[in-house]
Amino acid sequence: MIELCEVSKSYQRHLALNNVSTHIPSGEITGLLGPNGAGKTTLIRIINQMIRPNTGHLKYNGDLLNQAHLKRMGYLPEERGLYKSMTVGDQLLFFCRLRGMSRVDSNKQINYWLDKFEVTNWKHQKIDSLSKGMAQKVQFIAALVHDPEFIIMDEPMSGFDPINVDLIMTELTELKNKGKTILLSTHNMQSVQDTCSHILLLDKGVKLADSTFSDLQQNYQSKEFIVRYRGTKIAFANSLWTDFELVHQEEVKEDLFEAIIAQRGVRSVDDLISNIKGHVSIEFISRKSLNMQEIFLDLVNNVNQNL
Amino acid sequence: MRQSWIIAMRELRERVLNKSFLLMLFVGPFLVLTLAYFLVKANDQGKKELTVLIADPGNIMEGVISSKDNASVNYYFVDGYLELDEFKLGKDYQRFDVLIEINEKVLNNKKVFVFYRDFLSSDVKNVIKFNMERRMEEVLVHEFTSLSVDKFREIKQPLNMDFRNLDDPMGIESKTEGWAGLFFGFIIFLFILMFGMSILRGVTREKSNRIVEVLVSVVKPRHLMIGKMLGIALSAIFQLFIWFGVIGAGLWVFQNYIFTEFFISDEYINMQLNEGTDILYGQFGGLHQNEMIDLIYERLNLLVILPVFFIIFIMAYFFYGAFFSLIAAGTGSESDGQQFSIPIIALLLFSLYAGYFSVIYPESDFSNICQFVPFTSPVVLMVKVCQGYPIGSGYLLVVSLLILFLSTLFMLYIASRIFRGGILEYGHTLSFRKIFNWFKAE
Repeated sequence: MIELCEVSKSYQRHLALNNVSTHIPSGEITGLLGPNGAGKTTLIRIINQMIRPNTGHLKYNGDLLNQAHLKRMGYLPEERGLYKSMTVGDQLLFFCRLRGMSRVDSNKQINYWLDKFEVTNWKHQKIDSLSKGMAQKVQFIAALVHDPEFIIMDEPMSGFDPINVDLIMTELTELKNKGKTILLSTHNMQSVQDTCSHILLLDKGVKLADSTFSDLQQNYQSKEFIVRYRGTKIAFANSLWTDFELVHQEEVKEDLFEAIIAQRGVRSVDDLISNIKGHVSIEFISRKSLNMQEIFLDLVNNVNQNL
Repeated sequence: MRQSWIIAMRELRERVLNKSFLLMLFVGPFLVLTLAYFLVKANDQGKKELTVLIADPGNIMEGVISSKDNASVNYYFVDGYLELDEFKLGKDYQRFDVLIEINEKVLNNKKVFVFYRDFLSSDVKNVIKFNMERRMEEVLVHEFTSLSVDKFREIKQPLNMDFRNLDDPMGIESKTEGWAGLFFGFIIFLFILMFGMSILRGVTREKSNRIVEVLVSVVKPRHLMIGKMLGIALSAIFQLFIWFGVIGAGLWVFQNYIFTEFFISDEYINMQLNEGTDILYGQFGGLHQNEMIDLIYERLNLLVILPVFFIIFIMAYFFYGAFFSLIAAGTGSESDGQQFSIPIIALLLFSLYAGYFSVIYPESDFSNICQFVPFTSPVVLMVKVCQGYPIGSGYLLVVSLLILFLSTLFMLYIASRIFRGGILEYGHTLSFRKIFNWFKAE
């Protein structure tokens, strides 16, 4: 869908994006992750053509990205803003018209989305009479009302209560199922893990990761293991020697314990098995799988340690 | 441009539906009309309706004077001598405001005394003088010539003498027209200030509530800037049209219902002069002595001035508006924007001073230079247009307008580059270095 080729952007002496190349696959939700100042907003603004890169170029479905493509994009910025003195209906109509839609089509779409979110009665209300959450919902609709094929969501869950977060997540999944391409920038790792099939991780303007979530899980293994055993705790602890460290242990059933073990240095499951074999009876052993939060921290911390 | 137009229409709608805008739409012109009313009244102090008693012991005027169409002065005759004290204190004479004493030798010495109770305005004096002269003319023609009055008036042609300053032989140094030009310049100044600040506030507000994030993702910053300026310009033009409409209607009401005595009617001219007699304006000077009325209704060529005014106004608005736009886009806060707009306001004030200077010294080098400088030309040009260009100098107006037009395009180009760089930056302090960096950025 969107291809970035060696894109760099600097603001005076600050390098916001450093030679980033990636591909945002069509019909999927791509999670755009990174700590504050990683370059996410700069990347989004470049895709939106709000700013131009210093070097590199972007392609949209194989064509060089241009102004005409903007009409096919929807954008929910992190910094929300609406005209407070306008009614919800007029506001949405204004954005539709800016995207080149006819008045008739605009009204059809507006009614569809207001109905879908069960907020039709807000249509004639002014924005300044709505609560913050309600205005957020209007902003969310404004990003989608023109039926874009590529949607950029910058922190779409911020400002929403858990019920509405669930609603937004369901909507994003539904949009994905309809074949829309979504770029989701968020700090909510759980939502990334739940919805994103592709991850792009940036830090200090540099691309740290660019793959599917399952690939990331395979590539970035945990340093911890989960072990279930029968035997005595003392015998198990003694078997670890200096190669492993007992992080946590609890009795899950009578005479059945579950322990979390951290490796010291580079150790494999085989090393762990050979250590504890003969001391306790092993019921289950596995390397602990990393969640998105842990992969994120691991990646970012590794980079910072290497600097 | 379609997107700019949509933005402009939104802007226009928001402003036009604003209560304070609607209030000023009509309060403004009413204030101007009130001011004009008092200016005219100040030029016409004195009693409106006068009752004049003509003491004519020799019955020279035969109890006849043409005054029936001039309702402000009513004449009555007494065919005997009247002592001044009797007129002053006598119960029967208190209703008369003026006593005209016609002595029996008036046909020779041409001397008439006019006594008044309250001060008479120059207009009323002229009306009385005009009526008396007309009647005495009839008597003299009848007494000393064999001509009919009609024939005499046919022969008699008034000489229109135009007094000119030796240093100003073309008569362009007319201060009154200049002041009218300065008034138009002041309107330009006022609207640029009001609506320039509207641009500043509008853009900074959109920046602070972050709606620009969405707008700039849909439209180019340049189109956003133009749309915003255009919308505000349309609201300004709409307001101006309403102002001129209401003021025009008010002046028509003044002419037809309030200050009727200052206007000469065709019937009155026909009554006073025989048909076929050429009438020169100067002959009726006495009926047009009110300076303000004369200026507004006669001397200002509004058919030329108003179109030129609108052309200058639009160009000046976009020229100065470009500065307000770039400042608004570049600032991190509204207060910062107000600080940076001070130099622009100072330039606007300077243009007003240049206009004032051009009224006083229309042919000075300073005035001539200022008509070409886009910062000062809007006001100075209005002064010069109202004063009138000497024959053969009209090209100066064209050159000035061309310079203003090109400067406006140039400023819009500069502003759009800076607007693009600054519109998405928040919370910073504006500096000339930043402005320069945004300008040179690709």
